[in-house]
Amino acid sequence: MKVELYNHLVRNGLTRRSMLKGAASAGALAAMGGAIPSIASASSSIRAEIMKIPGVGMGSPGDAEWQKVGELCLGPVKERVKPGEFKGVELTFMGLNNQNLHNFLFRGFLKPWEAYTGAKINWIDLAQADYNPRLQQSIATKTVDFDIIEMGAPFEGDTAGQGLLNEMPDWVKDQIDYNDLVGYLQPPVGTWDGKAYRINIDGDCHTFCYRTDYFGSGSITGRANPPKTWQEVNQISKDVVGKTDPLTGLPAHGFLDPLKGWGGFGMYFLTDRAGPYVKHPDDPAFLFDVDTMKPRINNPGWVQAIQDVMDLIAIEGAYPADQINADPGTTGFQQFLAGTGSMLTWWGDIGSNARTSDSSVIGDVVGFNMIPGSDRVYNHNKGAWENTYNEAPNNAYLGWGVYVTNRVEGDSKKRQAAWSAAAHIGGKDLSLWTSAYPSGFQPYRNSHFNYDEWEAAGYDRAFVEDYLGSNLDTYNHPNSLNEPRIPGIFQYYSVAEDELAKGFAGQYGSAQETADAIAVAWEKITDSIGRDSQIALYKASMGL
Amino acid sequence: MSSPEGDYLHIVMPDQISVRRQQLGRLIIWGSACALFLVVILQSLDQVNFFSIGFENWRPTLYAYLLWAFCLCLGQVILYGEQGKRRLFILPAVLFVVSVVIFPLIFALGIAFSSWNLSSPDGRQFNGLDNVYQMWTDPFYWNAMKNMVYYTLVILLEYIVAFGLALLLNAQIRGRKFFRVVFLMPLMLSPVAVSWMIGKSMLEARFGPISRLARELGWDNPSFFGSPEMARAVIMIMDAWTFIPLMMIMILAGLQAIPKEMHEAAEVDGASPWKKFWEITFPLMLPVSITAILIRIIFKLKLADIIINVTSGGPGGATDSVTSFIFREYRDRSNVGYGTFLAIFYLIIIVIAMTVLIKLSDRWMKPRY
Amino acid sequence: MKKQVFHDTQADLSFKPSWMFSRLLIYSVLIVWAFACLFPIYWTITTTFKAAPDVMKGNIVPWWDFTPKWLGLKSLGLSPNTIFVENTVREEFLKRFWNSTIIAVASSAIAVALGSCTAYGLSRFSYRFGFMRNSDISFFFLSQLILPPVVLALPFLVLYKELALLDTRIGLIALYTLTVLPIVIWIMRDQFGSIPVELEEAALVDGLSLWRAFVTIILPIALPGIIAAFIISLVLTWNEYFFAALLTSSHAKTLPVMVASQTGSQGIAWWSMAALSFAAILPLVVIGIILERFIIKGMAAGAVK
Repeated sequence: MKVELYNHLVRNGLTRRSMLKGAASAGALAAMGGAIPSIASASSSIRAEIMKIPGVGMGSPGDAEWQKVGELCLGPVKERVKPGEFKGVELTFMGLNNQNLHNFLFRGFLKPWEAYTGAKINWIDLAQADYNPRLQQSIATKTVDFDIIEMGAPFEGDTAGQGLLNEMPDWVKDQIDYNDLVGYLQPPVGTWDGKAYRINIDGDCHTFCYRTDYFGSGSITGRANPPKTWQEVNQISKDVVGKTDPLTGLPAHGFLDPLKGWGGFGMYFLTDRAGPYVKHPDDPAFLFDVDTMKPRINNPGWVQAIQDVMDLIAIEGAYPADQINADPGTTGFQQFLAGTGSMLTWWGDIGSNARTSDSSVIGDVVGFNMIPGSDRVYNHNKGAWENTYNEAPNNAYLGWGVYVTNRVEGDSKKRQAAWSAAAHIGGKDLSLWTSAYPSGFQPYRNSHFNYDEWEAAGYDRAFVEDYLGSNLDTYNHPNSLNEPRIPGIFQYYSVAEDELAKGFAGQYGSAQETADAIAVAWEKITDSIGRDSQIALYKASMGL
Repeated sequence: MSSPEGDYLHIVMPDQISVRRQQLGRLIIWGSACALFLVVILQSLDQVNFFSIGFENWRPTLYAYLLWAFCLCLGQVILYGEQGKRRLFILPAVLFVVSVVIFPLIFALGIAFSSWNLSSPDGRQFNGLDNVYQMWTDPFYWNAMKNMVYYTLVILLEYIVAFGLALLLNAQIRGRKFFRVVFLMPLMLSPVAVSWMIGKSMLEARFGPISRLARELGWDNPSFFGSPEMARAVIMIMDAWTFIPLMMIMILAGLQAIPKEMHEAAEVDGASPWKKFWEITFPLMLPVSITAILIRIIFKLKLADIIINVTSGGPGGATDSVTSFIFREYRDRSNVGYGTFLAIFYLIIIVIAMTVLIKLSDRWMKPRY
Repeated sequence: MKKQVFHDTQADLSFKPSWMFSRLLIYSVLIVWAFACLFPIYWTITTTFKAAPDVMKGNIVPWWDFTPKWLGLKSLGLSPNTIFVENTVREEFLKRFWNSTIIAVASSAIAVALGSCTAYGLSRFSYRFGFMRNSDISFFFLSQLILPPVVLALPFLVLYKELALLDTRIGLIALYTLTVLPIVIWIMRDQFGSIPVELEEAALVDGLSLWRAFVTIILPIALPGIIAAFIISLVLTWNEYFFAALLTSSHAKTLPVMVASQTGSQGIAWWSMAALSFAAILPLVVIGIILERFIIKGMAAGAVK
């Protein structure tokens, strides 16, 4: 969970009433010892206890709190490991430093683990932009110098597909309660050729955020409700041109498309738009044909999505000035949160992020929904549009996970130590804490959606249900987009961003030409990586 | 290696080098060379599993090389006496640079002529001239090359600004030390900080302080990266901002070295300031100006960080520099073979261009001495 | 001084208005440029104390249009209420700061030492190395500066792996020395070129050896140049990002990589980015203020022949 959301919940949720209620139910919990049926009693008291560290309303937790939580959640580790058992083992952990979260959080969680087991962990912190190149270069030059890695599922093709990862032992599955994951994170995600590799620590999906003051009676759009389809979204963007933003008094804008690349991550935002057009419920594929790796990017569905963006570019004032230079970070954090534009797709909770006064100027006028659908969907296999309503929310990036590399192979003590450390971070109880307090991670287990636990910790029930509920809808959507976990997926995204930038700057004649250029570039990448192996790995990643 | 004719510093030193000393010198050099050779052979055999000694890495070779380098330097003195001591001035640097660069460069040449996508399970594969053909038809690369021409041309403007500032700092002003220190500051900021704090924060189109200033000045809807020309100009300005101080201090240094008598003589002759500048200052400053411009060109040709962070080469490639494009190809797309080839091709062009420039400037300046 | 005397004579008084005007012009240009140099740094410092909305709204003056908060320093564990508490981020920051210091200072020092010798040799003797003469050797060194880093990236990764130099300070120092050596040689060659040869000749006649004369007589004269070269090397190595991100992992990591970590899919931590950027330039600024006069002098020597 993000710092901002937490602060918001604290500010808005912690009324005197809910505080008392929270205290009361926590007391009740302790008294009844197992009020929540799905959780064993010993564990539930720990869960209630960690949810009070540092306690809602006591400020953002830091190193001391992380260590305390790590300590309290050591139970499952202690069951399987003797004190000092890993003495002398040295592990290297590679992960992200994203705003001094991620790896720093793990450090705190693992300190008690290190103290208990006697192992030592060295840390490699990477900036997000360096992550992909660093990983690829390490693999290719055989300089993999880490035993444990924090990694997104899209890279499983690069790692698991090349036999770099260590298979998860069964005792780990027990320890972390592997089957507790929400729908879309269940296998095949996290597995390769039927073997499990991934300990989940995060859930990812894009949701649709909108400004509530743009909708309702008397609003500048004149619409009662936020849009349900991309067609409506574009219409609204056109309608508000020339009008004035009710909050800032500056020109109003509709949907904010990032028109600039973001090291590959920008592609997810075009995918948001294209999803409902191209993801047919009968067909799991949407980027490539499974049998030939032929790109679908230039089929009429994708072209329509690109055309939608180009339509808005053509209208003066539909986007804010400099939109051509706006990457997703800019649209999210410098435009939307600053009161520029009214609709946006983004990961998890930027919508609620917007509500806290620490990080945004727009205050409490943000709502969130699932990503819009479409009036029609392109059936790629039949080669024709179908005029039925279609939804396809995007589980962009599929969340962070923790993996163990094959460097531990052959040293059973080290292997056990690595998996024990990883399992500790991905532990069931500990993950409840990371999803409830500022950590950079979101809920990803069914057990996280037990609203009673949140309420008991002092959160406002209505808000939690609203926020968690919308995430849950996307996670469990039957037609959600799960990107192919093939090697080099970010190469495809990156080159697509380059070509799209040219298209958006008007250097190609049409959306179709832009899409064709991407398709050509993608074919080139497929050939350079090796078509046959890509097809095989694509199938493997889809569990076919 | 060193020849007495043509030395600026003439030293006549009687050097009596005995035969034994010569033998010793040769022994040291060749002995250590043999040791190095032996270690390399051993390690190579170990590497190909001919037999196993259990080397963990190539450190032994490194140490052997260091030993040889040391002995080579020592041997020079023993063998050639005074002559050898002169060689000692440049030998360590040459050995260092050659050893650090030579292996990577050869390896890089190998990479440049192969197809190596890091994600490919096949690894590196020699593909002859494919990369050349690909480069020839790569619109992104040539577009970036074209941009580099613009970026380089703008150095002349930067030079004029830097010269102007240096003249001001050299004038009779109060608080000169203050201004000198302040003018030097932009050079110290890291490119990452410049990109974010200036490029993304101060130049933000709606609320950034520069946009607000622009609005005050009557530009209704300021947009710094919207049109290709504007975006390129802003990138140029940001880059100029960081590097003008470097040129400025070089020119200022030159100005302060001009003997006072020159100006006084001119003053007595009653020359106007304008005339004084063109007839005395500027010609005297020509050598340092050319040095400053050449160094600036070299730094400009590496321009990348700001572009990567602020525009990613956009809109539509208008701000792409060769280096920033290669970075995308190389890092984001892991297309190492092609990326390296582009870089090497770029390197060759630069080396040729710089050689021509240096030779030209040498010839151009010579008659003035 | 002389100029002043001239202006004070009766005849020059008529020039006073135009002289005043030119003064005004000079100072206004100076002040405008000084403002252009300082404002971004001011912006960076104040951003350390701003919450995100203050950054987004472009608030400029503390206490007037925004209330300063300890956000930036707090995120690094350096604010008053976090400085005495155990803090991983601060540990990380200090470790990187220390590594950056060692690596930048060591590589600059080595480069200056090697480069001074080389430059002296090139300015005093003529060498022949195969077909290469002095100017070719100079250009050979210079060409290292031109080398695009991408060319060397993967080869270095492999080379360093084989030599077990990955993630070591020594490895990074060697590489940084290589990158700044050319510019040191360039500056120092001009510097030595301006020192009259007669000085050494006299010393040698007095019986000093060549190297002794170099160390005891020439180097002290060339000190400003050495300092100038050192500072410029320091700036370049201190801010280096590309190779630092590539070749270090957990032991030799440096500061610039941490600055870049402040942005990502969770938004931009403006305050901590500003705090880190500021912390990163602070040592350079201090050095710049103290040693500024040497820089000009150092660059001056060989400038005009």
